[in-house]
Amino acid sequence: MTAEVGTVRTVRRRPDAQRAVGLGLGALVAVLTLLAPLVLDRSQLTVYILTGTAAMVTIGVSLLMGYAGQVSLGQAAYYAVGGYTAGLLAVHGTPPLLGLLAAPLVAGGLAGLVGIPILRLRGHYLAFATLAFQLILLAIVGQVDFLGGDIGLQGIPQLSLLGIQLMTAQAYAWVTWVGVAVVLLITRNIIASRPGRGLRALATSETAAESSGVPVTRYKIVVFALSAAFAGLAGGIYAFFIGYLAPGSFPVLLSFQFIVMAVVGGLGTLWGPVVGAVVITLIVQTLNDLGTRPGMPSYASGVFSYAVYAILLVVVLLFLPRGLLPAMADLVRRAFGRGRRAPAAAGTAVTVDDSTTRQPPDSP
Amino acid sequence: MLDVEGVSRSFGGVYAVQNVSLSVAEGEVRAIIGPNGAGKSTLFNLVGGHLTADSGTITYSGRPIDGASAHRRAHDGIATVFQGARIFRGMTARENVMVGAQPWTRHGFVAAALRLPRHRSEERAIREQAEHALERVGLADWADREAESLPLGQQRRLQVARALCSQPRLLLLDEPASGLRAGERTALAELIEDLRAGGLTMLLIEHDVRFVARLADRVTVLDLGQVIAEGTPQEVTSDKRVIKAYIGDEDEHARGH
Ligand SMILES: Nc1ncnc2c1ncn2[C@@H]1O[C@H](COP(=O)(O)OP(=O)(O)OP(=O)(O)O)[C@@H](O)[C@H]1O
Ligand SMILES: [Mg+2]
Repeated sequence: MTAEVGTVRTVRRRPDAQRAVGLGLGALVAVLTLLAPLVLDRSQLTVYILTGTAAMVTIGVSLLMGYAGQVSLGQAAYYAVGGYTAGLLAVHGTPPLLGLLAAPLVAGGLAGLVGIPILRLRGHYLAFATLAFQLILLAIVGQVDFLGGDIGLQGIPQLSLLGIQLMTAQAYAWVTWVGVAVVLLITRNIIASRPGRGLRALATSETAAESSGVPVTRYKIVVFALSAAFAGLAGGIYAFFIGYLAPGSFPVLLSFQFIVMAVVGGLGTLWGPVVGAVVITLIVQTLNDLGTRPGMPSYASGVFSYAVYAILLVVVLLFLPRGLLPAMADLVRRAFGRGRRAPAAAGTAVTVDDSTTRQPPDSP
Repeated sequence: MLDVEGVSRSFGGVYAVQNVSLSVAEGEVRAIIGPNGAGKSTLFNLVGGHLTADSGTITYSGRPIDGASAHRRAHDGIATVFQGARIFRGMTARENVMVGAQPWTRHGFVAAALRLPRHRSEERAIREQAEHALERVGLADWADREAESLPLGQQRRLQVARALCSQPRLLLLDEPASGLRAGERTALAELIEDLRAGGLTMLLIEHDVRFVARLADRVTVLDLGQVIAEGTPQEVTSDKRVIKAYIGDEDEHARGH
C-alpha cells in the first residue's frame, strides 16, 4: 500500500528488493536516532531536540503546502499556541501530560476556526492572511498578563510521563523523536488514503476535485488543522523543555524557517521535511559558531542565520527545485542504473493553477 | 432523470446560456452539439454545480438540485469529464482514478490516520473499482505511471476512468473524443455504447456529428446560448438552422478562434 507513495513518487511499483532496502534503511535511521542521545553532550542535545520539534512542524508544512497546495506563512503561530497551551496548563497545576495532549488539540482547533474564513483565499492572499494571523496573535500574547505578556511565561514545570519526571535532556530527546515518528506515521497513512488523495487532487484543481466528490472546503480546513496540530505538539514539547515562553520565541522568521526546511528537503515528500530540518539546523549552527568566534562583529551570527535561509532557498529552488531528498533519491537510483527520473513532481508546485474555481473549468 | 427548465446564465454582457430547457430520460444518451462558444460547457457546469444559474431550475432524480454543491451532486451520482485534460498532478494514473471513488466511500481522516478496519475494507474496494475502470478505458498497463507523464489522449481516457470509478448514474462528457487518435476514438465510442447498453444515462458534448449520430438517442443543438433544434440525429442534421449555425462556426474558425 505504500509502494506508490513512498518518500519519492516512484514511477513503477517498488520491487521487493528495493522495498527491503528501504525498510532496512528506515530501521537503521530509527535505531541511530534513538541511540544518538546517548552520545551527545548537553548543548548538542538541545540542538537535537529543537531539530526534532522543527521537523514535526515542517512535516505539517509539507503536508499542507506540498500535498494539499495550501500556503501558510504563519505556522510558528500554532507552534506558539501549542507551547502556551501546555505551559499555561502546567503552570496552573494541570498534569503535564494532559497539557502536552491539549497542545495539539488547541492548536488544531484554533487553526480549524481560523481556517474557515481564510482558506477561502488562495495563493498570495492566503500566505498574507496566515502571516497576519501570526502577527496579531503575537501582539495579543504580548498584551495579556496571564500569558506573561512581553516578559514571558515562566516556571513551566518539567514534563512527566507515567509518573516519571523527565529531568534529563536525553529523555526529552527521546520524547521528541518519538513524536516525530508519530507525526510521520500519521502523515504517511493519510497521504495514501481516500482523504489524502482528495487533498492531493484539490492541490491541482479544486473544480475537478469537487466534481469527483471531494468536499474541498472541509478537507482544506482539516488539513490546515492537522498541520497546526503537528506544530502544536512540537510547541508543547518545546515549552516543557525550555521551561519559559515569550512572544519573542516565535518570530515570523521561525515560520519562514519551517518553509525553508520543507522546500530544501522536498515539499510534498514524507521524509524531505526531516532532511530539511536536519540540514538547515546543522548549517545554521555551524554558522552561528563561526559568527560568535572572537574577532567577528557582534551582529555576525544574526546576519549569518538570516542570510543562510535566503541563500539556501534560492540555491535549492534554482538547482534542485524538488528539494534535496528527491534529488538524492534520483542520484541513488541513477547510480544503481535503475529506472528513469521521476517527472517533476507536483510537490514543488505551491502555486494553485486553478485560482478561479468558480469559473467554468475550460474558460478561455 | 434530468430536467433543465428555463435556465439562464450570463457572464458580464455575454448570455452564455439563455432560457435553455431540456429533459433527459433515464438510460438515454443525449448529445449536445453547437459551434464554439454556444454555451455547451456552461450548461454542463450548471448541471455539475460548478456554476449557479441566474434563473431557471435543474431537477435531477425528481429533486431540484439548484442549491447543491458540486461535490454533493457528485455524491448523488453526477460525474463530469471536463473539456481538455484535467488530471491531478503528482499522482499516478491509478491514484487519479481512485479519487473518483470518493462518492461511494465514507471514511475520513481519522480512519485513514489510524488505519481502522473501515479504511482497509474501503481501500480494497476502491482499488478493485479503479483497476476495473482502468481496464475499461485500456489504461491498465499505464496505471502506475505519473498521470502528467501520459500523452494527452491517455490523460483524456484517464478522466473517463475516474468518472467511471465513481459509479455514476448520470455521466457528463465534454468533448471526450477531442485529442484522441482514430483508434482511440473508436475504442471510446465502443465504451460509450457499452455503457449505454448497461443503462447509464449520458450527456455528450461533441463536435463530430458522425461520432454523435452513432451514439446518441437524441441531439440538442445549442447556438448563442439557445436551443435551436432538438431531435434524433437524422432530424437534426437535416435542419436548416443547424446547418447555418455550423457554417457560422466555420467562419469563426477562419477568424482564428
Ligand atoms: N467564466 C466565464 N467568464 C466569462 N465568459 C465566459 C465564461 N465561461 C464562458 N464564457 C463565455 O460564454 C460563452 C459560452 O462558453 P462555453 O464555454 O459554454 O461554450 P462551448 O459551447 O463549450 O464552446 P466550445 O465548443 O469552444 O467548448 C462564450 O462566449 C464564452 O466566452
Ligand atoms: Mg466547451
